[in-house]
Amino acid sequence: MAISFKQIEDKLKTEAKGLLETGKVSLVLAYGKGYDEKHPMPYAAKNAADAANIVFNEYCAANMARYLVRYPRGTKIAIAVKAADSRAVIQLIQEDKVKREDLVLLGIPVYGIKNFKTGEIIDSKTTGGLYNPVLYDILLGEEVHGQPVNSPYDVLVQYEAMDNEARWVFWKKEFDRCIRCYACRKACPMCYCDPCFIDQNKPKWGEKSPDSQGNLMYHLTRFHHLAGRCIDCGECSRACPVDIPLYLFHKKVAKECEEMFGQAAGMSIEDKPVLVNFRVDDSDKILA
Amino acid sequence: MLKKTSISEISDLAAQLMGKGALIAPVREEAGFNFREISDAKQVDLNFYNTIISPKSAFFPQTEDFVRYQTGKDILEATPVELNIKPAFLFGVRPCDVKSFEIMDIHFTGTGAVDPYWQKRREAAAIFGYAFDLNTPADGADFYSTLGIGAADPEGSDVFMIKKGDDLLLKAITPKGEKLLAEMSVLSDATPDDLNYFDDTVAAGRAFKTRFTCVEAKPIAKKFEDLFGNTEFWEKVSNACLSCGACTFVCPTCYCFDICDETLFGKGTRRRVWDACMFTDFTLEASGHNPRTKVYQRLRQKVCHKYSYHIRKYGPISCVGCGRCTRACPVNIDIFSIVDEAMKA
Repeated sequence: MAISFKQIEDKLKTEAKGLLETGKVSLVLAYGKGYDEKHPMPYAAKNAADAANIVFNEYCAANMARYLVRYPRGTKIAIAVKAADSRAVIQLIQEDKVKREDLVLLGIPVYGIKNFKTGEIIDSKTTGGLYNPVLYDILLGEEVHGQPVNSPYDVLVQYEAMDNEARWVFWKKEFDRCIRCYACRKACPMCYCDPCFIDQNKPKWGEKSPDSQGNLMYHLTRFHHLAGRCIDCGECSRACPVDIPLYLFHKKVAKECEEMFGQAAGMSIEDKPVLVNFRVDDSDKILA
Repeated sequence: MLKKTSISEISDLAAQLMGKGALIAPVREEAGFNFREISDAKQVDLNFYNTIISPKSAFFPQTEDFVRYQTGKDILEATPVELNIKPAFLFGVRPCDVKSFEIMDIHFTGTGAVDPYWQKRREAAAIFGYAFDLNTPADGADFYSTLGIGAADPEGSDVFMIKKGDDLLLKAITPKGEKLLAEMSVLSDATPDDLNYFDDTVAAGRAFKTRFTCVEAKPIAKKFEDLFGNTEFWEKVSNACLSCGACTFVCPTCYCFDICDETLFGKGTRRRVWDACMFTDFTLEASGHNPRTKVYQRLRQKVCHKYSYHIRKYGPISCVGCGRCTRACPVNIDIFSIVDEAMKA
């Protein structure tokens, strides 16, 4: 079954218009026109007339969940969510950054979404082999079935083949290329700290200049802050102007967390984030 | 003086330049091309469109060490970091990027206060400009022709290079370029036909169009002054903005920096590091007050600096239409679309 992007776009417009007209929400987070068709932009529709500007095509990779925390608590928001995006919303609900009752989730079952910088289809690298939103109120289209179901951790094969020494060399080399533009943390739906630890100067946690020490401090700390929280949307890697494969580390940590605690991030609003929850039967592997 | 070489023998030219100084040229890396100092002449590859990060870092590196010190020691024991300047050849710079150096000169040397780091590196460098390939359409993000910059403008370069089939034509534009080309024994003399081709390409480069139609600086500057207080407009155009620094770090005309003392185990360095007006802490004052807490205020600053304040204070638009910010933006914000929308507002 081929995805009809046009059909999803039409449904998005209709739902957005209805929700804004009836006043059920004051904001619809979806996608709008960019400077050309291959470069759509995240878009916030604020009234029924705005709904006509909504677009949806295979280049709509952005995870809209990152914008949720920008609006005052209690704002009624409808948000377009693909599979990974819905996990981000769930995780944000678990962390009490947004309330379930303030949100209307417009679920988009989809595959074949492309990275607008490279044209590469992102399904296999990110979104964890999921094609249907985990949580939604209104589903804009038919559920996707019959697509290849790959484990979200398949892409780790090469990485895991490296020993610790080789991994250290690998990350040192990758982080040396970092220019510290912070596009990764800004694109991340789970990076909402204000201020971010790296921007603090009392105490100062890491140097500002892009030398390997400051870069290591920034990335390794960010990696660990996202342990058990990364929902595998891959936005950090796509946002990076120098293509650092940040998703590899996030996936590795996610895999370890899942193995240890039997829970993946952002899969149920009933869950508690693994690292803030204590269960008597929790794995002790980390202490070994 | 017009000279030529076969592109397949470009590494011979590179080797000869490396014998005279540092050769800085686009190098193919994982994510695309970037200007790097060449260590092996074979690295030089003219098969690029443009680099991810602008060539400004050749004169204004992201990190510049000023002074080294030890904590607890007297200030007189601190040692200034010597500026080791050697002749450099900045090879394969696109005409829009060459133009950016002229704009950056205003800030680093043109307003009375002279930045010795920029100035000395700039003086020691010869610029080998390189025309865009007119047989390939411009990248969708580019808009240099909108700002009056031709795809093959030789102005600002010491030597300007144009590809002609399998050959590379090199024309001396300045006396510095004349002297250099005369010393390059690997180059052969060009024919009258080559000279015609060169001149025709420069003219065709002026007619080569990127997206958008030509604009005038002053009406834009005025328009943005009028729009400054229109919060609705700025909130609308900044809705998607993540407030990261990708756009400013790849930009050839962004020159903001921070000066930091970075200390580890008692050993410290006072250094200059690129900063970005898109960062929350850029305007954070010691009192704790921050005049730009909102994303729209920061994006407004970036756009108005380039397209309004800069025009009013110095004359030119502080943008060369290279399209890097648009290509690097994780959410596809396009600065010229904002200008376009402002002019319609």
